[in-house]
Amino acid sequence: MRRVPLIRMGVAFGVAVLFAMPIVWMVSTSVTPPGDYVGRTLVLWPEHLTFDHYRALWEKSVWRNGLNSAIVAAGTTLVALALGLPAAYALTRLRMPARLDIGFLIFVLLVKLAPPIVLAIPLYHVLRAFGLLDTLAGLVLVYQVYALPFAIWMLLGFVRDVPYSIEEAAMIDGARLLKRLRTIVLPLMVPGLVSTAVFVAIMSWNEFLYALLFVQSPALFTLPPYVATLITEDETLWGQLAAIGFLASLPVLIVLGVVQRGLTRGFASGTH
Amino acid sequence: MKAFDRSLPAWLVLLSPAAIVLFILTVYPIARVLLLSVFQTDYGFADADFVGSENYTYLLSNSGFQRASWNTVVFTVMATASEVGLGLMLALLFNRRFPGRFVVIPIIVAPYVLATMVVTAIWRAWFHYDFGFLNKVLRAAHLPPVEWLFNPDIAMLSLVLVDIWQTAPFVFLILLAGLQSISPDVYEAARIDGAKPVNIFFRITIPLLMPYILIAALLRSIESFKIFDKVYALTGGGPGRATETLSMYVYRLGFKFFDIGLASAAAVVMIVIAAVLAAVYAIKLAGGRAE
Amino acid sequence: MRRPFTALASALLAVAMAPAALQSAAADETLTIAGRDGGYATALNRMVALYKEKNPNVEIELLELPYGGLYEKATIGFREKAGAYDVVMLDDTWAVEFMSNGWLADLDQLGGGLDADFVAPARAVSRYPVGTGTHYAVPFVGNVELFAYRSDLLDKHGFDAPESWSEVVEIARTISENEEGVAGVVYRGKKANPIVTGFLPILWAHGARVIGEDGQGGLDTDAALAALETYLSLKPYAPKGVETYNSGEVRDALMQGTAAMSIELWPSWAPSLDDPEMSKVPGKIEIMAAPGQVEGPKPMLGAWLLAVPADAPNAERGRDFIDFVTAPENQKLLALEVGTPPTRASVYEDADVVAKYRWYPAQLDALNNANPRPRITQWSQVEQILGDYLQLALIGEMEAREALAEANQQVDRALSR
Repeated sequence: MRRVPLIRMGVAFGVAVLFAMPIVWMVSTSVTPPGDYVGRTLVLWPEHLTFDHYRALWEKSVWRNGLNSAIVAAGTTLVALALGLPAAYALTRLRMPARLDIGFLIFVLLVKLAPPIVLAIPLYHVLRAFGLLDTLAGLVLVYQVYALPFAIWMLLGFVRDVPYSIEEAAMIDGARLLKRLRTIVLPLMVPGLVSTAVFVAIMSWNEFLYALLFVQSPALFTLPPYVATLITEDETLWGQLAAIGFLASLPVLIVLGVVQRGLTRGFASGTH
Repeated sequence: MKAFDRSLPAWLVLLSPAAIVLFILTVYPIARVLLLSVFQTDYGFADADFVGSENYTYLLSNSGFQRASWNTVVFTVMATASEVGLGLMLALLFNRRFPGRFVVIPIIVAPYVLATMVVTAIWRAWFHYDFGFLNKVLRAAHLPPVEWLFNPDIAMLSLVLVDIWQTAPFVFLILLAGLQSISPDVYEAARIDGAKPVNIFFRITIPLLMPYILIAALLRSIESFKIFDKVYALTGGGPGRATETLSMYVYRLGFKFFDIGLASAAAVVMIVIAAVLAAVYAIKLAGGRAE
Repeated sequence: MRRPFTALASALLAVAMAPAALQSAAADETLTIAGRDGGYATALNRMVALYKEKNPNVEIELLELPYGGLYEKATIGFREKAGAYDVVMLDDTWAVEFMSNGWLADLDQLGGGLDADFVAPARAVSRYPVGTGTHYAVPFVGNVELFAYRSDLLDKHGFDAPESWSEVVEIARTISENEEGVAGVVYRGKKANPIVTGFLPILWAHGARVIGEDGQGGLDTDAALAALETYLSLKPYAPKGVETYNSGEVRDALMQGTAAMSIELWPSWAPSLDDPEMSKVPGKIEIMAAPGQVEGPKPMLGAWLLAVPADAPNAERGRDFIDFVTAPENQKLLALEVGTPPTRASVYEDADVVAKYRWYPAQLDALNNANPRPRITQWSQVEQILGDYLQLALIGEMEAREALAEANQQVDRALSR
């Protein structure tokens, strides 16, 4: 009975090749000398490898943009979890007056749906009021527009998964709410927190619009707006573009490889 | 749960940090946008002239705004439909076990985790008329090259193509989760009753998967409605107005023209449309709970 | 469970502090410049390197941005008083907006005047009110819009250099029809600034103006319509995809020998027209002022200026850098090494420079007689609007008359704000 479904396998691998092709192209172009990729002939892999594009990027101190991206991603994730977990807990476990919980959930949903560009103009005003214009901390703050609703929504499911009976047992022992949160809920939620963190971090690592609008100093650029300055360039610096694209993608691809099995669950719970 | 009644302030303590941050980042800005939309101003309220509904009437009669709205609808429908279609096919393909399945799935999902700027960087190069990868393949196959980005009739399709590549994997993952949640017993029972595979698919798989399909379609339509980055970096809204979407339109009014009053009015229209989508979403969710 | 979080938080804090620490260790002072990309960036980078050699304690951040991106970053920074830049590079068309809004610092107060060696039209736009007012900027790139044609191809088909735009159309048609692989004409069709810049000399030659003498939009006129129809009649003889062409594509088409004429050529684009290593047609491209039509030729000024923002954190250093970049010896160095068109008359007359660029005397003449684009605060918006509608007409989505009428209506709205 158990025969290998050859046709299904063949189609699946074919689809995978199609989906992987642009990424393979990016990797190969990043090591192709400029003269080769502007030719009219189809070249899949360069005859002569070159690391000039990476060297050029290094000379432009692109590592700094990477560091900015990392700081913003880490900060955004930390803030989103620190604010999102208590909120998710309260919404799941604590009774609120006047169905406030439902109201808040609908509000969170609305935030999730609001187009970011719509908030951009007044957010300048907000950032200026806090003195956070043109700072990485400012980006961490405005990224909560994306990150916080997502974190709350995703953590709701994970809080529900913590068996309430354990908490009840602790309550009988007289443990107060904060202690219960710390000693029981938090440890049990580590997997949930990790997968939420992964998604939030990827989201802010990749964010473009607010990074474009709210940061003016070149020393504070994150990777996506930096990539954009290369894209709109009149000349075709594809080699450098591919190199920086690959470098910017490497962390998320590695994370994807590590967490691949948890992916399906993560997406499913993040969407309901 | 009633045990918590005595510690009533607890929910307030736990909820308010998130609530305050979201309030500052969304409620206040939206209120400000609403107010700005009835003024003519290039910045704040300092030199603003009250114009009432003038911004709205100007906007609704403006051919650029009409075109941007139409483009947004076209993009949303085309992208959502094709992504759900492709995602469904992929999910069905990967629903059965076969050797190497867990090697292939991350490869297909990879585009979804890439930054949109990286994605557009790749595809801009692929779409290049003279040196682009796609036209090189076409020429190698002795087919005529395609004007991917500068033909107004094709540019929108190119945009959709990039969106499919990047986000069909997302739909695929949701639908795969959906398919795997269907108990094998259901199929078993149907097979014992002698149902044909086609009937099993349309009578059992699709209906059971429908909640997932709807959720995926809603999420994708909401995201497509917001589309900005891809348009910005791939076509800039061009050629002409062929790919200008609402987000791009608001962006240009706000940050190129500094016509803040008009941009705010356009933003309000976007919020209203988003709220309608949200209502559909909420009704769907409520319906899901009632079941 | 608390410990990992505390550890994570402190690690984060450490990472967040790192760049600040790195920077302060490396340099005492930072100078941040917002400039253009492409060839302009090559020039600025050369100057940055040279300046750093002389001032090793200064760390320099150079932001390289495309045209629209630079305008956007600069204006947003100024409006929000972000204090992000010490030096900003600006197109002369932005000057009125930047200067009248008080976004730029008075350079006289920072020391040093405006040398009379800079060509007069570029000097004029560096002050506000134009020509006489406060000194806000220093001319950096002496661009003037010129017309380029392949003398060999025109000779072959029995044409002289075109004197009117009708002749340009005629030449473009003849060459397109008779020369395999050569487009009759090439230009920038990209939205916004590029397409407008290519169109303006044609508009002016037809006696039309974007802003009429009454200060209102002047596009809804018969003269403007005639100009647009001339412009559109060139399209069949332009390369495929010209709608997306920018300076890079135009330069490549000229130097690869695939275009016979370019309706606009900025000297900074093409320093290597005669370089056999870069150009397939060295010595065959002639450069002249754009043709006329009902009016005589009007070379268009396209100078790039350098200025110190009013909110610059390091204004003195910014002023010093500007003086350094625009000094005669460095203007000469940039002209010779990068091909940046100078703004100083003395450099145009320098023997080494003229020996390298045979067209420099003509260029200086054009520059001295150059007309600036309208001196209004709303020019950037007007240019965006006109650019949108020109492209709609170019890709055939709108009739010429309809496009001009709608553009004019929106220009009026922009002017009234």
